[in-house]
Amino acid sequence: MSKKEIKVLLVDDEVEFVDTLGQRLKMRGLKVDIVYDGEQALSFVKKTAPDVIVLDLKMPGLDGMEVLREVKKLKPDVQVIILTGHGTDKDDEQARKLGGFDFIRKPADIDLLVVKIKEAFSEKIERAMTAITFAEAGVFETAERIIKKDE
Amino acid sequence: MKIKNKLLVGFGFYTLLAVAMGCFMYLELHTIISRLAYVKSADDIVNNALETRRYEKNLLLFNDKGAINELDHYITLLRKNIGVLKKEIVKKIGAQEFAKLSGQIDEYEQSIHAIARNPADKGLIEKVRIIAREIQATIDAVAGGERASIDYLLAHLNRSMILLLFTIAAFIIAGAIINMKLAASISNPIRDLEEATKRVGGGDLSWRSELTGRDEIASLGMSFNRMQERLSAARQSLELAITELHEKQEQLLESEKLASLGRIAAGVAHEINNPLAIVNEKAGLMQDIIGISDEFQNKDKFMSLIQGIVASVDRCRAITHHLLGYARPTESVMETMSLNDVLADVKGFLHKELEDKRIAMETNFPVDLPQIRSDKGQLEQVVLNIVRNAIEAVSEGGHINISSGMKDSKTALISIADDGPGIPQDKVKHLFEPFFTTKGKKGTGLGLFVSYGIVKKLGGMITAESKSGRGTTFTIQIPVDFRQ
Ligand SMILES: Nc1ncnc2c1ncn2[C@@H]1O[C@H](COP(=O)(O)OP(=O)(O)OP(=O)(O)O)[C@@H](O)[C@H]1O
Ligand SMILES: [Mg+2]
Repeated sequence: MSKKEIKVLLVDDEVEFVDTLGQRLKMRGLKVDIVYDGEQALSFVKKTAPDVIVLDLKMPGLDGMEVLREVKKLKPDVQVIILTGHGTDKDDEQARKLGGFDFIRKPADIDLLVVKIKEAFSEKIERAMTAITFAEAGVFETAERIIKKDE
Repeated sequence: MKIKNKLLVGFGFYTLLAVAMGCFMYLELHTIISRLAYVKSADDIVNNALETRRYEKNLLLFNDKGAINELDHYITLLRKNIGVLKKEIVKKIGAQEFAKLSGQIDEYEQSIHAIARNPADKGLIEKVRIIAREIQATIDAVAGGERASIDYLLAHLNRSMILLLFTIAAFIIAGAIINMKLAASISNPIRDLEEATKRVGGGDLSWRSELTGRDEIASLGMSFNRMQERLSAARQSLELAITELHEKQEQLLESEKLASLGRIAAGVAHEINNPLAIVNEKAGLMQDIIGISDEFQNKDKFMSLIQGIVASVDRCRAITHHLLGYARPTESVMETMSLNDVLADVKGFLHKELEDKRIAMETNFPVDLPQIRSDKGQLEQVVLNIVRNAIEAVSEGGHINISSGMKDSKTALISIADDGPGIPQDKVKHLFEPFFTTKGKKGTGLGLFVSYGIVKKLGGMITAESKSGRGTTFTIQIPVDFRQ
């Protein structure tokens, strides 16, 4: 896959936490941006598309679940990993239904988090490739032939 | 005998006695009266005879012509009175003599009339005298003695009176005895029954009336006993229900306590996770920085200190994540499954641990165990927690027995028994409380707490039975088809 830097956006109102985590991820070769609430996160996503968002659930103002929903509307390709200290299994389920990539509980092991971010990034790339393949197929082949091929 | 019959017997006895006494009195009086009548008639006869002789003298000695009328009168009377006593006289002197007497009287009457017509006939006069003397003699013999029978009558009356007194006394005594017997035969069983009702009323439900027989009271006694048995049975089942109620209440209190503890613990776990995450990242960053920096004094020491912080954070994380598992409000994923598969799966998971400790695991899964509907994953988690505890509890080469079965048609049972050291009685009640552990740093004390919460959520119950030194048995009850 591409050697390109993974762009990660961290969204969390816990400044001490998110700043430290940001530094650690940078040390592990990721490109990190940090915002401290949901609104900032959405305006950031509108301007520049990160590859992966690491998102807290419980935040003042717009909460993580709403941010996830909006992001998936704005930029469906962007992968979102929920990282929360409050999450229940129900939140886990809901986040996955809304298109979240994974659900991790705080405190998290940094190596695990990095692995998940990389997986999310590969997922994003793969989807983009499939989309391109489909687009090409759409140009050159008729719908009927795709169905036949699938069979 | 029925009470009515008893009373009838008493009454009959009195009536009989009264009738007998009446008859006796009647007979006695009858004898006396007829005797008196006889005496009176006999007296009349003697008088008539005397009067006859008086007028006979007047006629014979003083030639009193008027005396013939008086004589006729008294002879008629005499004849009439003899007629009255004919039977008695015949009895005394025989029919022949009686006929002779009658003949003499007739002869006497004719001779008197003849003398009245011819007063000078000396032969006739002599004949009358002789006949008169004979009649007189016969009458004296027949009736004269009867004057003396007044004494006899008195004696007879005296005897009757004494007899009467005796009879009355006998009557009173016999009556009293019979009445007492009857009264006792009626009142004793009533007293018995009263005693029984008092005892039962006082709470001695084991008391039985011992009345036998066929009267109403005995049958009352038997009904009483039946009532009594029902009462005892009812009380027993009531006591049972109360004990059960107490047990249920205790369980309810315990489960409420654990549930609220669970909520508090989950709340605390939530709140702690965020600061814990900060500690985790800060320490992690320090580790990162020191890790890439050049060698400096105490670098290794710092690294190991940070390692300690990270390890403690890991322990805290184990606790909070465990607790959040308990508070998991997710809907359980219900599926139809065989309980035995669950148990077999768990046995499979733990294969290595069992082998390492050379533990003999016996399983007893009846093949005909019905399928149940429950959350397989969560059930496995519970059994895993309990079996793992058992593995940790037994010594090398110990035994664990897992069996499944049915408590009733609606409840399945899993029982996990080990021959480990057991749990002291005073600790058993804390088993399911969070953080109760005897394993120090190696245990969180949350395994059973979490299992309890899960089973509760699946509509079941976990209980533990243990005695120090005698091993431990955990029993899980799970509804066959749990509808949330
Ligand atoms: N089969 C058993 N025999 C003897 N003691 C037991 C058994 N099962 C549980 N216990 C006791 O109950 C305590 C609580 O068990 P629980 O599973 O809740 O926590 P733990 O095993 O100590 O910790 P963890 O489950 O996190 O490893 C144990 O520490 C142990 O003392
Ligand atoms: Mg345990």
